[in-house]
Amino acid sequence: MGHTLLTRHEGRSIGSSSIRILGVAMLLAAFSGSSRADQFVIANLSVTFSGDEVREVYLGEKQFAGEQKLVPVDNTAIQGLFLSRVLRMTPSRYETAWIKKSFREGLAIPSVRSSNSETLEFVRHTPGAVGYVVADKPPAGVVVVTKF
Amino acid sequence: MRRSTEFARVAGALAGVLLGGAAWAATDAERIDTLEKQVAQMEATRPARGDEGLPLHGFLDVGGAYRSNGGPRGFGVGNLDFYLAPRIGDRIKGLVELTFEVDSATGELETDLERAQLGYVFGDFATAWAGRFHSPWGYWNTAYHHGAQIQTSITRPQFLEFEDHGGIIPAHTVGLWATGVVPLDAGKVSYDLFGGNSARIDLNPPTTPASGELNPNQATATNHHGSVGFNLGYVFPGVFEGLKAGLHGYTATIDDNAVAPNSTRVRFGGGYLVYLENDWEILGEYYEFSNLDLSGGTGTHRSRAAYLQAGWTFGRWTPYARGEKAALDQTDAYFAQQAQGGSYDRVVAGLRYDLDPRAALKLEANHTRFTDRIVSSFSEVQVQWAIRF
Repeated sequence: MGHTLLTRHEGRSIGSSSIRILGVAMLLAAFSGSSRADQFVIANLSVTFSGDEVREVYLGEKQFAGEQKLVPVDNTAIQGLFLSRVLRMTPSRYETAWIKKSFREGLAIPSVRSSNSETLEFVRHTPGAVGYVVADKPPAGVVVVTKF
Repeated sequence: MRRSTEFARVAGALAGVLLGGAAWAATDAERIDTLEKQVAQMEATRPARGDEGLPLHGFLDVGGAYRSNGGPRGFGVGNLDFYLAPRIGDRIKGLVELTFEVDSATGELETDLERAQLGYVFGDFATAWAGRFHSPWGYWNTAYHHGAQIQTSITRPQFLEFEDHGGIIPAHTVGLWATGVVPLDAGKVSYDLFGGNSARIDLNPPTTPASGELNPNQATATNHHGSVGFNLGYVFPGVFEGLKAGLHGYTATIDDNAVAPNSTRVRFGGGYLVYLENDWEILGEYYEFSNLDLSGGTGTHRSRAAYLQAGWTFGRWTPYARGEKAALDQTDAYFAQQAQGGSYDRVVAGLRYDLDPRAALKLEANHTRFTDRIVSSFSEVQVQWAIRF
């Protein structure tokens, strides 16, 4: 019977071991999850342009890829991340830039999608569409322009 | 030994939980995946935000002024400016800017179709516009148009004002305009080529010299003269990103409606430099006039005008300052017949506070000195609340 009983010291030791194991497992899960998710700039299969041109596309400086009219769309799910990493702008500056562009040149402000799946579907089905998404792996059925 | 047994027991339990969780997650993930696909299909079949009809945008500003020489004092309504950008397919587009403004002298409401242009887009390298547009000389005239909220300062440089605000250069052209950007190995070149009706000077009344105002002749070239101009810019790359330099030129034959009409071949050239990065806005333009008197035989008259403005944004605040100067030959009928055609210099200092990305409060002071005609000066303080919608 005495073998089934643990001393106070042993109980504390096993309890803390369990917490450590659980902590390590959670950390592994967290890291493995974040390492799988990447941010991709994607385009419809009708479009080819380089990653260096993404900024110009999203500021209305580049409107065509060859003969194809480009249709950039914003994805609110990761718009802040995209603007800071790729365009190096705050959302308010981005909005102001497009108001000026629209007012000066009559350009259409990029429409907005509210999720990764919505953005992906729009880009897949719209000739000239350009978008950005978070995904575990490069999305299929679109051109992956660059990662950011 | 006991500890290793307990360890195995805890690890086994944890593995069981994780595996069970994974199984649950797989089932749930399938459900979510199915649901996501359904939502995506529904979303793909509805119009995106911004695609629903034709959006109407605009600008509105109100404010007040106090001028030292008995000029305008008190509150006033500025511009209510609507703009539309209709599109037909990928290559045809339009731009309409309709402005309602209160005449500062009479208090009457005035309506102006400031821009009404239709364009065909050949590509990034060329867009052709037809209609009434802002003459693409210099930088300011095609950067801010009539939108007070997107313009850092309250006032434009006086010599670049719109025609009905005393501007001395035709700010609008009715005709054709080709514009585009051509990428180079390093940087980009932008170009504008434009031509159209020549403006005229309307004296009010025709018997009163120096009472004239430029009229862009938007119905037709009543004087049977034309105008042409160009703007060639270079957009710097790399570490100089945000910097643009350019050259511009313009020529037109412009008549007035005096009892003995004056006719002048107006010709100006010049350059500009702008820097718009790292929270700085630095703008400078230079105009050199060489106007030939076609009716009076007084020969060629030279005049010049320039401004330099700098502003720096930190947080919501943007302090700014501007200096401007116009030295205009008063023996040149083109300037002599315009109400605001006198020489002057002006210093401006202001502070802008952005309440919101779409709303700004501005406080601006200026001191203006007229250096010919009647030598005098005045100081003025203005406030403005400007929004866009």
